[in-house]
Amino acid sequence: MTTASLRGGPEPSARAAVVSVPVVTSRRPWWRTHTAQRHIFGYTLLAPAALYVLLLVGAPFLFSLYLAVSDANVGDPVAKFVGLDNFRAAWEMETFWIALRNSVIFLVVAAIFKTLLGTSLAFLLLQNFPGKKLIRGLVVIPFTLPVAISVLSWKWMYDSQFSVINWVLSRLGLIGTYGSASWPVWLGQPELALPACIAVNVWRTFPFSAIVLLAGFTAVPLEVLDAAKVDGCSFFQRFRHIVTPMIFPILMIGFLFDTVFTLSDLSVVYLLTQGGPANASKILPVLAYQIGIQAGNLGRGAAIALFLVPLLLPAMILVLRNIKRREW
Amino acid sequence: MAPKTQREKAVRRNLWIYAGLTPFVFMAVFPIYWMVITAFKQDPDLYRMENIPFWFNMAPTLKHFETLFYQTNYGSWIINTMVIAFWVAVITLLTAVPAGYALARLRLPGAENIGIAIFMTYLVPGIILFLPLSRVVATLGLQDSWWALVLVYPTFTIPFCTWLMMGFFKTVPLEMEEAARVDGCGQLGALIRVVLPVSLPGVLTSVIFAFTLSMQDFLYGLAFVSPGDQKPVPVGVPTELIRGDVYYWGSIMAAVLLVGLPVAILYNFFLDRFIQGITGGVVK
Repeated sequence: MTTASLRGGPEPSARAAVVSVPVVTSRRPWWRTHTAQRHIFGYTLLAPAALYVLLLVGAPFLFSLYLAVSDANVGDPVAKFVGLDNFRAAWEMETFWIALRNSVIFLVVAAIFKTLLGTSLAFLLLQNFPGKKLIRGLVVIPFTLPVAISVLSWKWMYDSQFSVINWVLSRLGLIGTYGSASWPVWLGQPELALPACIAVNVWRTFPFSAIVLLAGFTAVPLEVLDAAKVDGCSFFQRFRHIVTPMIFPILMIGFLFDTVFTLSDLSVVYLLTQGGPANASKILPVLAYQIGIQAGNLGRGAAIALFLVPLLLPAMILVLRNIKRREW
Repeated sequence: MAPKTQREKAVRRNLWIYAGLTPFVFMAVFPIYWMVITAFKQDPDLYRMENIPFWFNMAPTLKHFETLFYQTNYGSWIINTMVIAFWVAVITLLTAVPAGYALARLRLPGAENIGIAIFMTYLVPGIILFLPLSRVVATLGLQDSWWALVLVYPTFTIPFCTWLMMGFFKTVPLEMEEAARVDGCGQLGALIRVVLPVSLPGVLTSVIFAFTLSMQDFLYGLAFVSPGDQKPVPVGVPTELIRGDVYYWGSIMAAVLLVGLPVAILYNFFLDRFIQGITGGVVK
């Protein structure tokens, strides 16, 4: 037993016990050893969280794979296996391709804008100036407001007739008056609907990009930078060899979170346009909801939602590798 | 020109920073301002385009708030929101705090992989889970009640808060725990008497996140809860106050304002903790 406990690592109390009363410990059965006790204690603490997640995330995920290959629908609880029919049906649906294309456009365009806005905001907030706390508090409001709530405020600002955005544009002479051909109906015109939704997503999440970047920068100890400076490293060398590697893991986590949330978020588009007009702003989550819940075709809906997985996977793998490399 | 003094330089620099920040502040705050002013405007004032809309052209009114409380389920939605948040926070604390401690401190075999697995479940989006979960909710007989949301919201709060707590527990000096053990505390005693009090900021942060993350949900509430009086605010307002093509913008803005602003302010208070949390708790 003593060898086992020594092999078990430098557990401080076990070490103490071995040194002071080695005779007693050596007679303990294995489950009374300190290491075993610690493991039992640890797994007991871990169990509730692990079980909850296993039962309500793991199992449903597998269940969604099952739904996707069945003809399950809301009215009929007995589902039968239909193979890849649901995927094939989605594949043959024009709306599906529009939604997939829109999802990708949404993700990429939004990412570009929030990276630009987030980075510039982060660099500004990195400075010290009077009133910094207040200003930081104000600029993060879009991110802290519950999403459904802020989307409603945008829906009002995009109103077809009483849009405040249009009021300003009209007074500036950039567009005509209400009813004229140059009066934009943000949520009603096919070419404007998707950009309008993307704008709301960018507005909502650019503070998050900025916060994540800031967190990355503040995680770099100034002493290390100073030391490098003293040793004669140039600004770019410091940036390349110290700042970048130190903030990279945090940036990756932020990037992944944002990708997942943007790709899978239904609320912005659903509340603004429901995917309309004529599917112009339809994205995969909205389509999955409309087919799975509104039309009651659980199998088809699950299949469409699962098409998000290949889109999410690269981001997930990237971050998984990153976390693995982090010191645990 | 004479060389500038140190002070002048500083003022100049600050002015540049403010100039750079102004568009961001405007962008962030204008929709909120617009919400506030809409909530207090009389209807004729709202729907008239000749006047400058940025200020009151008629006397402010509380009529929209009255409509909200007397003619809709708004009161119930607020209560639902609070009760849901309370239960979600309780479930999250009871599971995520011990799990975070076990993963950060007890050197369990496989701890690293379990931690990553739990983290990854946070990234399984609701849009993939909501159809199977709708079956789970129906099987348990929870459909059409806010208890359905108490059941499903921890699926994202537990992974997030476990991760958060792990970060916090790693920052508690190991010596404190060892000292407690030497002084005769058991493992559980050391956790409850020494580690938890020191990690109180982390625990509080978890509570805040259980609340704010629940408020961010729209999909689950939309899919699982249809009776008008069972909805939380973020779901009730868009689904019940928008009837067909008729919009009650004054009341809608009043409704979202009352809940949205306190949540945003609360979140703001915890911004520093939030930053600490996602960086794994960098404590100086």
